[in-house]
Amino acid sequence: MKAVFAVLNLLRPLNSGLLAVGRWLGVFAIGVMVAAILIQVFFRYVLGSALPWPDEAARFFMLWMTGLMAPTAFRNGGFVAIDFIDAVIKGKAMHLLQFALLLISLTVLIVGAQIGYKEVTGLGGRFATASLYLPTSLTFDEWYRIPRSWMMLSLLVGIVLLILVNIELLLERFVRLLGMGDRLPARSGLTIGGSE
Amino acid sequence: MLIWFLPLFLFLLLVGLPVFFCLLAAPGALLWLNGQERDITLLYRNLYNGMDSFPLMAIPFFMLAGELMNRGGITVRLVEFSQALMGHLRGGLAQVNILSSILFAGLSGSAVADTSALGSMLIPAMEREGYTRKFAAAVTAASSVIGPIIPPSGIMIIYAYVMGESVAALFLAGIVPGILVGVGLMVMVRVMADKYDLPAARRVTFENVEIGGLESWVSFGLVRLNLGLLLVQFAPAADTTLSKWLTFLGAVLLAHGLMLGLRRVVSPEFRIVCKRAVVPLQTPILILGGILAGVFTPTEAAAVAVAYALLVGFLVLRTMKLKDLPEVFTRAGITSAVVLLLVGAAMSFKTVVSLSHAPEILAEFILTLSENPLILLFLINLLLFVVGMFLDAGPAIIILGPILAPVFEGLGVESVHFAIIMCVNLTVGLATPPMGLVLFVAASVSHERVTTIAKAILPFLAVEVAVIFLITFVPEISLTIPKLTGFLN
Repeated sequence: MKAVFAVLNLLRPLNSGLLAVGRWLGVFAIGVMVAAILIQVFFRYVLGSALPWPDEAARFFMLWMTGLMAPTAFRNGGFVAIDFIDAVIKGKAMHLLQFALLLISLTVLIVGAQIGYKEVTGLGGRFATASLYLPTSLTFDEWYRIPRSWMMLSLLVGIVLLILVNIELLLERFVRLLGMGDRLPARSGLTIGGSE
Repeated sequence: MLIWFLPLFLFLLLVGLPVFFCLLAAPGALLWLNGQERDITLLYRNLYNGMDSFPLMAIPFFMLAGELMNRGGITVRLVEFSQALMGHLRGGLAQVNILSSILFAGLSGSAVADTSALGSMLIPAMEREGYTRKFAAAVTAASSVIGPIIPPSGIMIIYAYVMGESVAALFLAGIVPGILVGVGLMVMVRVMADKYDLPAARRVTFENVEIGGLESWVSFGLVRLNLGLLLVQFAPAADTTLSKWLTFLGAVLLAHGLMLGLRRVVSPEFRIVCKRAVVPLQTPILILGGILAGVFTPTEAAAVAVAYALLVGFLVLRTMKLKDLPEVFTRAGITSAVVLLLVGAAMSFKTVVSLSHAPEILAEFILTLSENPLILLFLINLLLFVVGMFLDAGPAIIILGPILAPVFEGLGVESVHFAIIMCVNLTVGLATPPMGLVLFVAASVSHERVTTIAKAILPFLAVEVAVIFLITFVPEISLTIPKLTGFLN
């Protein structure tokens, strides 16, 4: 049991830190998305000449926003689920069921991470994005065309963060299953809504 | 063999696995058992490609615009405006609650935001006026479902993307059904006002309401500009640019004259309350007007709505501060991220639905029940209503859309019509017990028990069910506006 608490004590601050960084980067990503689309609206409708990059740049940042912010929702119970079974099953049986469900989600995520790694490092990731470039010199005369793998990495990073959160939730559920839930420190939560 | 992913999916869903994992685990497991490991990679690719979409970007933008508007204090202005218009009717505050929901729907498109924002303000006010708490909470929850029906609507964007429909067509198709739900609820309140002797009506006046100089001028300009643009539509077509501008100028002057005429028949307080509502109510005009005029795509309209909300919050109303932004962006981002992941998973799920020939098998089964589309639509409404009792609208659309829509399109039901039936039905499900999301939010805001609100809401649910059947059997209710505006043939 000491080993479980030791891992949890390591994982909790690690996840809190990583997810906090993820949220800040996500906020930045939303800001860039809005700015990119507004620039496009201005160029397309006011100046009459659409730019090639804003649409793809906005999608790039939307994917990263999703990958970086979804794990926070998962950690705070923001993933939509039918939870009326909680009202039917109580006590250890409920903890056992939740433990099993977390094992299933962990399996899905691990398979996803394996495929994701192959996809990012595979042929698909080597293609370049259509219009995204990064300056590689201070004089802006040399540019690096961003590969698709940078975009694809967003989902892989999201899955890895989800795995870390899933392991934390799994260990917490294990502790509760053994009746030692009162030894778990409380975690401040965020209120997460839905598309509705 | 592959068709067994559906029962497995339902089982995982019912035992409480999050929908996102259900959408991937059930098809993945069956593909693996079927020896189709390569197709599991296809699931991953479709998850990624499903999220990598320009039209989907409207979801975070509309959520952000709604959050910004809400934080900027527009709720108070909408309620004041509704109160000035309807507060004098019998059951006045209940009517105000419903009208505020209709107006709020044009800004946020979220039933949860509606219940939370309007409920926290109107439920205590209704209690003070002598309404019971359960009645106030029930009206708030029932009227909040108008939010995702009147555009902009998050669930319609999801439906349009997953099923390949036009977002603009769905937005336009939702206008009349949304207003119809609101009018139906108002009629029910009027009936209940007599039966249950709801508090007597009184005209609400706002003697201390003020409006800032800049906001006053912005409202002044916006009203005349909007009215002018509307009047121009009735003017004879102009040939040259100069004559177009002159016609527009004439229309604006005529609008100004009309407003001066109106000024004489209303009190100064009423005028200020109306002026304070102009800036928030410009948002739906900007969104729908931009889309209808072909100026913006829905995604661009959503980004413009964000920019407008920022401008209003910081410069016109001056109710927002820079330190508010991180929290607003974080809330919108996290909520959007969950929805985007779900939509991506839905695209994976849809692939396996096609591979398993589930729609064809389901169509064969449905046709054994009846070949009459009207009877089948009746039955499907019952099914959707039951599903809505247990599952939120977004995930339900994601799961059932790819399975049911092809079946009914095959039976000759117009795709946009079916989309509206599904969206309205599942949205009403948000207010149905035992799992209605807005019931829980209303309970939290009002401090009333969910079971008590669930009983009090039944008359209003009856109205909403009647509207569902009305829009099911009279397709013109939803299809007329998209057809008139050329978004549907």
